[in-house]
Amino acid sequence: MAIHKIILASFIVYLMIQFSHGATKERLFSDLEKDALDVTAKPSRQGVLDAGIDKLSITWKLRSTAKKQANFTTIKVKLCYAPVSQVDRPWRKTENELFKDKTCPHKIITRAYNKSSQSFKYTLDRDIPTGTYFVRTYAVDAKDHEVAFGQSTSEAKPTKLFSVQAISGRHKSLDIASVCFSVFSVLALLVFFVNEKRKAKLEQSK
Amino acid sequence: MGDSTGEPGSSMHGVTGREQTFAFSVASPIVPTDKTAKFDLPVDSEHKATVFKLFSFAKPHMRTFHLSWISFSTCFVSTFAAAPLVPIIRENLNLTKQDIGNAGVASVSGSIFSRLVMGAVCDLLGPRYGCAFLVMLSAPTGFSMSFVHDAGGFITVRFMIGFCLATFVSCQCWMSTMFNSQIMGLVNGTAAGWGNMGGGITQLLMPIVYEIIRRCGQDLPDGNRSALEKKGEVAKDKFGKIMWYAVTNYRTWIFVLLYGYSMGVELSTDNVIAEYFFDRFHLKLHTAGIIAACFGMANFFARPAGGYASDLAARYFGMRGRLWALWIIQTLGGLFCVWLGRANTLVTAVVAMILFSLGAQAACGATFAIVPFVSRRALGIISGLTGAGGNFGSGLTQLIFFSTSRFTTEQGITWMGVMIVACTLPVTLIHFPQWGSMFLPPSKDPVKGTEEHYYASEWNEQEKEKNMHQGSLRFAENAKSEGGRRVRSGATPPGNTPNNV
Repeated sequence: MAIHKIILASFIVYLMIQFSHGATKERLFSDLEKDALDVTAKPSRQGVLDAGIDKLSITWKLRSTAKKQANFTTIKVKLCYAPVSQVDRPWRKTENELFKDKTCPHKIITRAYNKSSQSFKYTLDRDIPTGTYFVRTYAVDAKDHEVAFGQSTSEAKPTKLFSVQAISGRHKSLDIASVCFSVFSVLALLVFFVNEKRKAKLEQSK
Repeated sequence: MGDSTGEPGSSMHGVTGREQTFAFSVASPIVPTDKTAKFDLPVDSEHKATVFKLFSFAKPHMRTFHLSWISFSTCFVSTFAAAPLVPIIRENLNLTKQDIGNAGVASVSGSIFSRLVMGAVCDLLGPRYGCAFLVMLSAPTGFSMSFVHDAGGFITVRFMIGFCLATFVSCQCWMSTMFNSQIMGLVNGTAAGWGNMGGGITQLLMPIVYEIIRRCGQDLPDGNRSALEKKGEVAKDKFGKIMWYAVTNYRTWIFVLLYGYSMGVELSTDNVIAEYFFDRFHLKLHTAGIIAACFGMANFFARPAGGYASDLAARYFGMRGRLWALWIIQTLGGLFCVWLGRANTLVTAVVAMILFSLGAQAACGATFAIVPFVSRRALGIISGLTGAGGNFGSGLTQLIFFSTSRFTTEQGITWMGVMIVACTLPVTLIHFPQWGSMFLPPSKDPVKGTEEHYYASEWNEQEKEKNMHQGSLRFAENAKSEGGRRVRSGATPPGNTPNNV
């Protein structure tokens, strides 16, 4: 039992270290400067985009009305879930505390801040799930704290959203292997059954 | 059966000084060792082992044990293989919270029906066939997960995979035929506990495990069932009869409810805990998986410990001790579950979860330390019903608390804990006339208060004339130790049937 105690103790210590990383981060989304950047995200074609294949043309530019641009060091461009893709999915919930917020989990690109207009042609990653999205750019200061943001959609009435269809993840080789193993399993059972009948008959005839 | 057993002073235990005396053995002289039998382990009059030698593979008792827990363990792995991957699967298949909850309910609901069927199969055909058929026919359901591409498919396949959890019933029944009832708590608890543990084995290995079972397994200590039936040594029973005796015994239904809130909550937690830690405490997937694994892995010692605690309580207080042990352990589990739901920091949540797992799993072990005594004739069906009750409780709990947006997961866990405490209270109602209950002593009636009367009452007069009840009488003899210390140390209890029946 001593080994169990050691494992438990070291595990708890490990967890405490992990936990302490998440402590006291109460920077809020509502404190960020809204619409500091003009962002557009144009899909390469109409209709539902395919993950891993289709592209987005993303451009961002500092807006003249922005106030905190002196602090901007880096721009982080992220792919975010539209509210319709957050319904009934609490793991994608929008929270005011930035470290808890799960709206924008997919990173697109990170670039140093530049006053002039920037653009990037983004091929949708293969692991993007099916859903409806928009693009948000966070302006980050030297301490890696978010300061301002801009997004490709309006806050009140979400417009200019685009839909993505994820990959199916199926392979022909997997399908064939599954069928083969299943058939083997059933056949093995039949062989067992036949053998048992034969053994019982032998016992009886003895 | 040879020498005169049961008379005071006739026991040869301890005479040579070389008899085994470890804790995992039957200590009472009331259980006579059958010396005419040629087995690697000492056996009683039913040829059930009276000793539990963990690291032995002796045929047939210990080999049965190892085959049982391994086959059950594999089934547990496949049934819950999807759960720690839900954070990935929910994105691949675009699932909603309801879909995930429903899949969890489906994964445990399939085996409600299959455990009932398995119970009947164990009583009629034997646990070896039941286990072999189930394991081999469940393997394709695991493979069909690769064809799933939406929520409906996911739910359906998890439902079908869940059927294989019925191996629990064959596992427990097989143990009950191979080991003496005095060590039943520990044996059943270890077999089921290690089965529940699972881990690391993928569904591709199931056919290989079966091959091992086929070549080495045996139904009963004396041989395979069909051969014994043909020789007339094992009575061929009727489904209707055993079903009747199982269903009309009120204790069956109390255990069905109780198991729903020990095993049931364990299954529910297996389904939700990884996602809970991932989402609530913002952990990485593999960290959440490790924590979730701790919950299931605790089965390795928690469930056997529960069974052992029950055996220990029985040694001093008999069946009443077993009932008290079960109530205390399961209620404590419920209280720790409430604490888990209310824990706000990661460390308190992990500690609460571990204590909750110990309570719930030990309660499972303690439950199946008592179930083999409820009935001898219908043991399979009662085990099946109890096992099905576990799954039903799990499905119900997941449906009420974890499939809707009405409760957050932490609220769901808290309420689940409250339900555990409430649904454990009926154990106070379980009364055995020969051994008593939690609050009442055994009946003093010289006829009705005997083990023989209780177990023989499952057979009618015609069946008794055909001597079909011999197995039950032998079991009753061996079960006398459930009377507790006063029975063991005192003179031979009144109403003891002479052995030349």
